[in-house]
Amino acid sequence: MTNHLLEIDTVVKRYDSLTALKGVSLTVSPGTVHGLLGENGAGKSTLVKTIAGLVSPTSGKIYWQGQEVNDADVEAMEDLGVFLVTQEPMVVDSMTVADNLMLGRWPSKGAFVNDRKMYKMASAFLNDLDDANLDPHQLAGELSAVDRRKLNISRALHSGGKLIILDEPTTDLSVSDKALLFDFIRKLKTTGVSFIFISHYNEEILEICDEVSVLRDGNMVGANQSVQHVSSDGLSELVVGRDVVLFQRQPQPEKPVAWSLREIRAQGLEIDELDIYEGEVIGFAGLPGSGARELGRALYGLIPGATGHLNYRGNAMKLPAHPALAIDNHIAFLAEDRLRDGFIGIQSIAENITLSSIHRVAFGGWVNRAKERKIVEQFSKVFEIKAQSQNDPVLSLSGGNQQKVCISRLMATKPQLVVLNEPTRGIDVGVKEEVHRIVDTMSNSGVSSIVITSDLDEMLRVTDRVAMFVNGRIVDVQPSSQLTKDIVFSKAFASTEATRFSA
Amino acid sequence: MPTKDFLLNNIVWFMLIALVVLFSLMNQYFFTAANFQNILTQATVLGLLALAAALPLLVGEIDLSIAGNLGLSSAIGALASIELGLPTFAGVGVGVAFATLVGFINGLCVTKLRMVSLIETLGMMIILQGALLAITKGSTIISFSDAYIWVGQATILGGWPVMPFFLLAAFILMGIVLKRTVFGRKLYATGGNTDAAFVAGIRIDRIKIAAFTLSGMIAGIAGYFLASWQIAIVSDQGSGFLLYSIAAPILGGISVFGGRGQVWGILGGVFLLTIIQTGLSIVNVPSFYVEMIGGVLIFIAVAVDALRVGANGRR
Repeated sequence: MTNHLLEIDTVVKRYDSLTALKGVSLTVSPGTVHGLLGENGAGKSTLVKTIAGLVSPTSGKIYWQGQEVNDADVEAMEDLGVFLVTQEPMVVDSMTVADNLMLGRWPSKGAFVNDRKMYKMASAFLNDLDDANLDPHQLAGELSAVDRRKLNISRALHSGGKLIILDEPTTDLSVSDKALLFDFIRKLKTTGVSFIFISHYNEEILEICDEVSVLRDGNMVGANQSVQHVSSDGLSELVVGRDVVLFQRQPQPEKPVAWSLREIRAQGLEIDELDIYEGEVIGFAGLPGSGARELGRALYGLIPGATGHLNYRGNAMKLPAHPALAIDNHIAFLAEDRLRDGFIGIQSIAENITLSSIHRVAFGGWVNRAKERKIVEQFSKVFEIKAQSQNDPVLSLSGGNQQKVCISRLMATKPQLVVLNEPTRGIDVGVKEEVHRIVDTMSNSGVSSIVITSDLDEMLRVTDRVAMFVNGRIVDVQPSSQLTKDIVFSKAFASTEATRFSA
Repeated sequence: MPTKDFLLNNIVWFMLIALVVLFSLMNQYFFTAANFQNILTQATVLGLLALAAALPLLVGEIDLSIAGNLGLSSAIGALASIELGLPTFAGVGVGVAFATLVGFINGLCVTKLRMVSLIETLGMMIILQGALLAITKGSTIISFSDAYIWVGQATILGGWPVMPFFLLAAFILMGIVLKRTVFGRKLYATGGNTDAAFVAGIRIDRIKIAAFTLSGMIAGIAGYFLASWQIAIVSDQGSGFLLYSIAAPILGGISVFGGRGQVWGILGGVFLLTIIQTGLSIVNVPSFYVEMIGGVLIFIAVAVDALRVGANGRR
């Protein structure tokens, strides 16, 4: 079978206690787009890292054009023509398109870069790609999101790429930008370039891919299926597996309004009014810059200069100007980027859980460690935080347990409104449902929650209502039971102008 | 691997014990009460200054101006007594107040003006050193009252100098503040991950300003101790302490990346540096080599710090 560009044969990857890939096989043919589906933690990223040479497999074989590849690192794989284009586009904003295209491989004479030659080569190359709309002289920082992705793909091709791995390339793209990206991919396909296309969305896979493979819990549950022979529902079933019981929030009885938001103003944010009910879980849906995330941040005092009025059960208050004030007003916030903003990795579970509520376990500035231990034990038990002791540094925990520590920290402040940003990002399937149930339990005790997630299925499953944001305004609020992904998508994600704000 | 961690986290004490054994074998005078009194007295000023250096380090910043602050504030305090006729305690108070103010200004510059602490405090250091030279006009201040020099000269309990008792008290106090108080928790959190600490509701700016202010105050107290002990304030008072006062906490495990380290580690770093200096001179290593050997040991310690941070899996 030498007509395959790439063949993966029963690859196993074992980390200390975790087996990320349990004997995975698939093939990629030249000039095709190969979709890779699976939930977070299913092994997608380990698999593509293995293919890209970032991770070496514990066992199994990798063939490139029929030849076995042994112990190849990133450089060796790039020499063969395998390039990984990650979610974070690796572009130097302060350099031009041409500089970026040949980053580190500029045409040079001795120590000097031959600029004229570089721009000539870049123009010729970009013209050949047919999409000559990338100007070699433009600064990369001025490019739109889709053009930055095109630049990254072009760079991989310029370096001799034959197989480009695209890790969720449509994140943050509007519908029209996505169409542009797909056109670009289709064009390159005809020249013989292959792609591995990672996505969370079945529709995208069915639209752009020739074949699709599905990973679940480190196993290949459906390899090399032709997209002509699978349906979206069939893919979902493969992705999730029948054994995972998906949480579904039940319809809630009518409750009084707990939080009233009035005249919230910040740059690119113009919310006139929004009422959130007691114990309600409300989803905020919208593109980056649409105001969904921004409103969540503004409520927690994370947007300097934001103004507005809040009312909690008749207590009027100003929009908090600092997280400390938000906490005083019983508002808590779960950060989107857990590793950066969520916890202090070198510190213990206990110290992290009481971080925001240290005054509750202190008397006159002195920490009462016995009281602290008791509170931490409670949370560890209720949320089933798996660790050897509460002195373990949080960085040593799994993503799911890290998130449970973060949620414990929020709950220890005894909040009445919780803003949850991407509460299940990078968390294993089972723990994901646990987090959903934690949110549900919270709401039963009267706490209102705002859920902001890029996973629309999740949003519709865990919320009571969804507020849809475009251009800094709420365009619609509907009960989740009457919404479908398509409706939310067309109302909140289809706008082309919405992306402009994020620049 | 707890054994490896234990070794890395306590490297300063292992080095200390090794050096004490080595110097004791090389010279019989080394392991005597008189010499230890000497070492402890010498360690007092460096110890206080190391505490002053450790506070900004804990929040992920650095303060290079503490030694300059020590010099100028002690001169201002002494001159307030001598020239204005203030009582000794008031003069000392003026000096310490000045040093505290300098720390506060450093804190404001680093937080509110977003100046990079390395460069801001470098500038402050040069200003303070220059100001000391200006007010002393190159001469040495020596006319102190008896009360002023009491701390540096007095002995109790049959010949034990009092200075080390203050050192001990300062370390115990700092240990309690760091380990048992809300303020201590917030210091570590701020240095451990500033972004996360901010999102967790900690007022980062206030904590950093407090760290710099407290640092300045301790530097001021160290300045008074140094002048009282030496019975002199020279025109470049304290400048020799700068690098050692930064090195001691790092030797003792206070990470330059912030958020890590214990008080007793700092004490170990202080003793280590002091013993290197006194030990090398006792075993008759010519003073020309002392600095170089000390530098090599600091070098080793920082390498160990890098290893330790790497071992704990920080990115």
